[in-house]
This record gives sequence, C-alpha cells and structure tokens, in this order.
Amino acid sequence: MTTNQKTDRTQSILTGIVFGVLCVSVMFAGCTSRASEQPGKPTPSPSSIGTETTVIAFTAASLRGATPKLAEGFEQMYPGRHVIFNLDGTQALMTQVQNGARADVFISASVGYTNELRNGGYFADDSIKSLASNYVVVILPANNPAAIGSLADLAKPGVKIARADKSVPVGTATCVVLANLANSTFGQDWNLSAYRNTRTLETSEPAVAVKVALGEVDAGFAYESTATAAPDGTYLVIPIPEKDNYLQTYTIGVMKESLNKGAASDFETFMLSTTGRQILEDYGFRPAWDHTPLGSSPGTTPLKTA
Amino acid sequence: MDSVQSNPGRTKRILMMSMAALLILTVTLYLALPVLALFFRTTPGLFLSSLADPEVIAALALSIITSVISLAIVILVGTPFAYVHCRYRYPGRMIVDTLVDLPLVLPPAVAGLALLVLYGRTGLAGHYFSLLGISFAFTTLAVIMAQIFVASPFYLRQAKSLFDQLDPSYEQVGRTLGASPVRIFLGVVLPMTASGLVSGAVMTFGRALGEFGATIMFAGNFPGITQTMPLAVYVNMAGNFNAGLTISILLVLISFAIMIAVRLLAIREVPHA
Repeated sequence: MTTNQKTDRTQSILTGIVFGVLCVSVMFAGCTSRASEQPGKPTPSPSSIGTETTVIAFTAASLRGATPKLAEGFEQMYPGRHVIFNLDGTQALMTQVQNGARADVFISASVGYTNELRNGGYFADDSIKSLASNYVVVILPANNPAAIGSLADLAKPGVKIARADKSVPVGTATCVVLANLANSTFGQDWNLSAYRNTRTLETSEPAVAVKVALGEVDAGFAYESTATAAPDGTYLVIPIPEKDNYLQTYTIGVMKESLNKGAASDFETFMLSTTGRQILEDYGFRPAWDHTPLGSSPGTTPLKTA
Repeated sequence: MDSVQSNPGRTKRILMMSMAALLILTVTLYLALPVLALFFRTTPGLFLSSLADPEVIAALALSIITSVISLAIVILVGTPFAYVHCRYRYPGRMIVDTLVDLPLVLPPAVAGLALLVLYGRTGLAGHYFSLLGISFAFTTLAVIMAQIFVASPFYLRQAKSLFDQLDPSYEQVGRTLGASPVRIFLGVVLPMTASGLVSGAVMTFGRALGEFGATIMFAGNFPGITQTMPLAVYVNMAGNFNAGLTISILLVLISFAIMIAVRLLAIREVPHA
C-alpha cells in the first residue's frame, strides 16, 4: 500500500494522458486537413486552372465492362486528366450522393433516378444529357442446365431465375418487361410462375450476370450490353421483342457540388464524343435516342425506340 | 505544510482528471453517437408503421428462425467437439485449433465466395450434390450454413477455453467412481461450465443475426427465403429508407439485449472461477 502502488498509479495515469493527447491531436489533425480542403470550394474555376485533374465518376454498375477503355480514351483526349469510377447500382449511388458523397459526374441507368437527383438540386444546370440506352434480355449459362428454349420455358417448374431488385434500374425494367410479355403473349400465370422461380433479387446488374455466368442459376434478366460484350460462349441469349421490351436510358450529368467542374465537363464532353460513344457501342450499348436535356417526363414509363 | 504543497498538486490532478474525462467522453461518443443517430432519424409513428411492413416482418422472422437453428447446431455439435478437442492429444491438433478460429478474421465476403465455390451448383462439392438433385445456394439452408460458418468460432473459442481451464481433478474423481465419459461430461463438466457456455452462445447468436456479407454472396437475396434483416437494411437503403431504419433499430435493440445478457452471465460466472 505505498510507493509501489503509487508509482503504478501515476504511471497508468501518465499513459492515459499520453493517449489522451494523441487522440486529441489526431482529432485536430483531422480538422486541419479538412479545413485546408475547404478553400477550393467557392471557386468555380474553368477547366484550365483547376489543380484537380481526377474526375470521380459515380457510374451505373452495368457500365463496368466498358470502364477501362473509357478511362483510357479520356486520358488520351485530355492528357493529364484521369477518371476514377465508383461503380454500383444506380439506386445505391444515388443514396450515397444524397448522404453527402462527393462526386464530380453521375452516370445513371435510370431516368427516374436522374430526375429524382435533378429535383433535389444535385446537378449543375443544363448538364444532364442522354448518354446511351439498353434493352433487357434473358441470359442463360452456356451449357443451359435447365434446357430453356424460349421465354415460355421460364415458367417451367424448377427453373432458377436471378433478377435485380425492383430498386435497381434493371430490376424496374425487368418488372415492366415481364408485365408486358404477360399481357401480350404469355398470360398472368406465366408471370406468376416466373416470379415463383426467382431465387434471388440482386442489388446490381453485374451481380445478376455473374450468377448466370457461374451457372448458379438457369436464367437471368440482364442488359443486352452485358450479353454483347461478354466473350463468346459465356451466355446463351434470348432476346425480348422490342414491343414488349423496355429501353433503359442512361444519362450523364455534372454534379453541382463538384469541386472540379472543369475536368468533370471535359469528361462529359468525352463521353458524348464520337470516341466515347464508339466505346459504349463496342460494349453493346445502344445510342441514346437523342442528346437534348431531359424534360420532366417520369422515367417509369416504358420508352420505345423512336 | 499540507496547504503549501497542495496547490500545484491539485492543478495537476484536475488537469489529469479532465484529460481522463475527455478521453472517456471521446471514445464513448464516437462509438455511441452513430447508433443514437438511428433513433433520431425516425419517429415512433414511422417506426411502428414500417414495423407492420410485410417485408420487415418477413426479414425479422427469417433472421430469428435461421439464427436460432444455427445456434442450436453450433451448440449440439460444437460443445462435444470442443470437449474432445481439449481432452485428447491428437496429431494436427494445433492446425485444427487455428483453422477453427479462421472465420473470425476472415472477411465475410470472402467467406461467402468460399462457400459459393464449394457448395454452389458448379462448385467443388456442390457439383456432386447437384447431380443428386440437392442444391444449397439461394436457399434458407444457405443462410444457415453461412451463419454457422462465420458465427461458430465465437462459441467454440469460449467452450475450448472453459474446458481447458476446468480443473481435471473433478473429472478424475468422476472416473474413479466408475462414471462413463459421457456421464462425466453431462453430469460434471457441463454444469460447471454452463454459464460460460451460454455467454459464448449468446455472442454466436448475435453474430449470426448480424451476418451480411457471406449471406448476400452465397444465399442471394429474396424476401422470406434468404433476405435476413441485415440484407433488408442494405436493399431498402435506396427504395425504402424507413424500413431500413426500422430494421436497424430492431437490430440495435436485440444487440443491446445480447450485451446485457452476456454481462449478467459474466457476473454469475464469477463463483466458478
């Protein structure tokens, strides 16, 4: 009960203080580095002045395959500029932006979500452009384990189907397509059976495609671009007639909060250029039906090729 | 004499105290504030209304059922395993000891991918099962398999350390009295380690309930079949933020109850130590 215990206690208190000081200094370090970032914000600098050369592009996951080529093309057209893609389902990207994620460019696979973000004031004025479009197809593993020969077979008992959740753009499109097919050709029982055969509602389009590619399911609802861009022998494809299909429109826009608007609009320019569009076409995307800014039309109505 | 020395001493002590208080406050707030923020983002009305959402109810029911089944399997298989492992010296025992702990440090997404490439329809073992018409991926069974894989080490570790610490003389006494090993295990070992085992079981249940990464990769996501509460939180983040909040709050409440249960059991455990 004396000197030994006392020194022990002072020692432990001292270490406590050292840790405390460390914690506080870490906190301050965090504050100052954030503060130094701040001054860049109010300057809406033109493209040449910005020290930032890297564009952060929040990008619909279905563009994943094309992104390396797109990055390469952008760097060739604008030497010194770079792009980092943040790929996820558009619904997840939108939630990230709404909760404060910093993006320079937003590529959406759904006009509905684009409009939601636009109405929330997230886009720079007049920066939203149609980028590309895409149809829904049914993809099957190359060995076709369930011997599916037509869309009608999707209702066969025991067929395992993967599709995206309805919050994912391709999932919304899938719902519309199934309803259209049921109305025009196969009937409601077919639609119900196809739903009963659904094993998983994935959270992005590539997640559906990979389940098919792995052979874990017998069929999946994915984009035409995925089927076109995949190496030969990856999938069998059942097209869906145009009259029952859903033409999903991709848009690109510069974010209002971007600290890097110059580079961001350079990237948009690249994406809409002949080079950018050619890359998208190579990866199976269809051209957007026009390049005028979107009106206030809701994205949930099925769009037809004009 | 005392008053002369006390002034610098007191300021020092006050300084230390305030530093200590600041430290405690910082750590506590950092860990507790995000959880509290969940409660501030919703209202009781919204909470109750999305509590009636069929998808929320389905996720809650599925989570509870699968976690209970996982826990039962872990206890039934894990308890004798840990006992045998502790009482017998066998070749490769150290390797087993390490492998059993591996899921603790493995990222759940890796666990999910691993389960898929083993049990998936085209997987190493799943390939043969599928010839027999048995499939695991995208079933409720896959949810349970994922939960057992990631959560069982919590129970196994606890059981192993309890059996290791248990004084073998109790069992020796039993043996000299002619009791069979099974009888000794059930009559002596289990009662003496019960409360510790229960706290390990509670941790396993909590981990199983919170399992996300392995489940979404191996079991997929379908309401009522494989969409557990954590998956519902993730999927609803875009479409139905409120349902996500409600499920999150339910999970916080359950986790809190689990922590309290462990605390109470830890207090009761003391007399045995």
